[in-house]
Amino acid sequence: MKIFTLLWNNLRRGVATFRYPSAPPVTEGFRGLVHFDPLRCSGCAMCRFRCTARAITFESAGKQYTWAYDPAQCTFCGRCVDGCKDHALSQDASCPPIYLSAGSLRSSFTLQRRTPPPKSQPAPSTARLQAGGDHESRE
Amino acid sequence: MNLLIALARFLIFPGLLFAVPAAWMVLWLERKSVALLQQRIGPPFGQPFFDFIKLLAKETPPRSGINGKLMRAWPLIAVSASLGAVGLLPVLPARGGFEGDLILLLALMELPAICLIIAGFSSRSLFGEIGSAREAVLLVSYNLVFLMAVVSIAVSQHSFRLEALAAAPLSAWRYLGLLAILLCLPAKLHVNPFSLPNAEQEIYSGPMTEYAGFELALWQLSHGLEWIAGVGLVAALAIPSSAYVWLDVVSVLFVGFILVLALSLIAAATARLAIDTTVRFYWQCTLIFAVAAISSALFMRLRS
Repeated sequence: MKIFTLLWNNLRRGVATFRYPSAPPVTEGFRGLVHFDPLRCSGCAMCRFRCTARAITFESAGKQYTWAYDPAQCTFCGRCVDGCKDHALSQDASCPPIYLSAGSLRSSFTLQRRTPPPKSQPAPSTARLQAGGDHESRE
Repeated sequence: MNLLIALARFLIFPGLLFAVPAAWMVLWLERKSVALLQQRIGPPFGQPFFDFIKLLAKETPPRSGINGKLMRAWPLIAVSASLGAVGLLPVLPARGGFEGDLILLLALMELPAICLIIAGFSSRSLFGEIGSAREAVLLVSYNLVFLMAVVSIAVSQHSFRLEALAAAPLSAWRYLGLLAILLCLPAKLHVNPFSLPNAEQEIYSGPMTEYAGFELALWQLSHGLEWIAGVGLVAALAIPSSAYVWLDVVSVLFVGFILVLALSLIAAATARLAIDTTVRFYWQCTLIFAVAAISSALFMRLRS
C-alpha cells in the first residue's frame, strides 16, 4: 500500500516538469555551453582533436585559422575545456539556451596565427594577438 | 424496439455522436490522471482527438506479404462492434432494448479483442504474433469470470434484457457480480497490471506494431469506445433507475468518470504482470467472486 501513499504525495506536490522558459537549478560544476576567448587561443587545435562529438571544427589556411563551435552537436563533456592549455575555453554553469532556428547558437572565429616568440626572450603579453588582422565573426 | 429509437441510440446517444468524443475524452482523462499521479504534465486537453486527425493524414506504408484489405477490415470491424456495444448500453431507461440484448452486447464487446488477435496474426510480425497470443490467453483468462459475473446478474433478474437489469432494484448479490466485472475491466481495457498484449517495452505495440495512419487511428478509437462500453456497462448496472431520465444520465456519466479515475489509479500503482501470473489471478483468485455471484443468483432464483 506504500505505492498509494507515494502517488498521493505526487498528486499533492504537483507537477515536477518545468515549463519553458523556467529551468531546473543546476548543480555545482554543471557543464553548459562552451565559450571561446580568441585573445588566449594559440591555435593548437587540441580542442578539435579532443572533441569526439565533432562540435568543434578547426580549419587552418596559411597564416589564418578558423575555429567554429556548434552547440547542437556538443555533448557538453568538457574534454575541450580540460585539454586547452591556453585556457581559451570555458563552460557556462547553466543550461544551454533553447533556440528556435537551426544553427543560431553556432559561433565561428577567424584569427591570425601568432608567430611563435623567439626562444631567447619571453613574448610580451600585448603581442599575443596581431592587432590589424584579427577578425571575429559570429554566424 | 422501434427502428427510429434504435437508430437514434446508435447514432446519437449513447452511440456515435456521444460515444466518439467521449472515447477521446476518456483516453485523455486516463493519460492525464496517470501523468499527474507520476508528477508529469501529461497531454493537453483533446490530445487523442489531435492524434486521430494527425493519423488520418498519414499514409500507411506498403507492407509486403500482407493482405492490405484484410488489415484494414479488422479495425473497421472493431470500431463498428464497439459502437454497437455502446449504442446498446441501457443509459436511457424505457427507451428501447429487446429481449436478449445483453447477449448481443457481450458479443459486441468481445469482437474488438478477437479482431485484435486476428490482426496481430495477419500482420505477420513477430511482435504482433506474440501480442496476439498474449491477448488470446488474456481473453480466455478474464472472460470466464466476466461472463459468469454478467450471467449471474441476468439470472438474478430472470432476464437477459439490459433495460430490465438496469431498472431492477439493487441487491448485495448484484454488487458481487459488479465487483467481479470490475476486476475484469483492467484486463479488458489493457491497462496495468494487465497490459500484456501491448507491452511497449517488450513487444512494441503487440498486434498493432504493423499498423499506421488511418488504421491505427481506428484502433485507437476502438480502444476508447471499449472504455466507454466497459465502464458504461458497470455504471449503468450500478446506478438504480430514477424517475428522471436526466438524473440517470448524469449519474451514469459521474460513475463512469469515477471508474476511469479508479482504473487510472490502478494503472499508475501497478507494474505489468507476467502472463502466467495473470491467468492464475483470474482462474484462482477472481473466479471465486464469479462463482459466488452465480451460485447466489441461482439460489435466489430457486427460492423465488
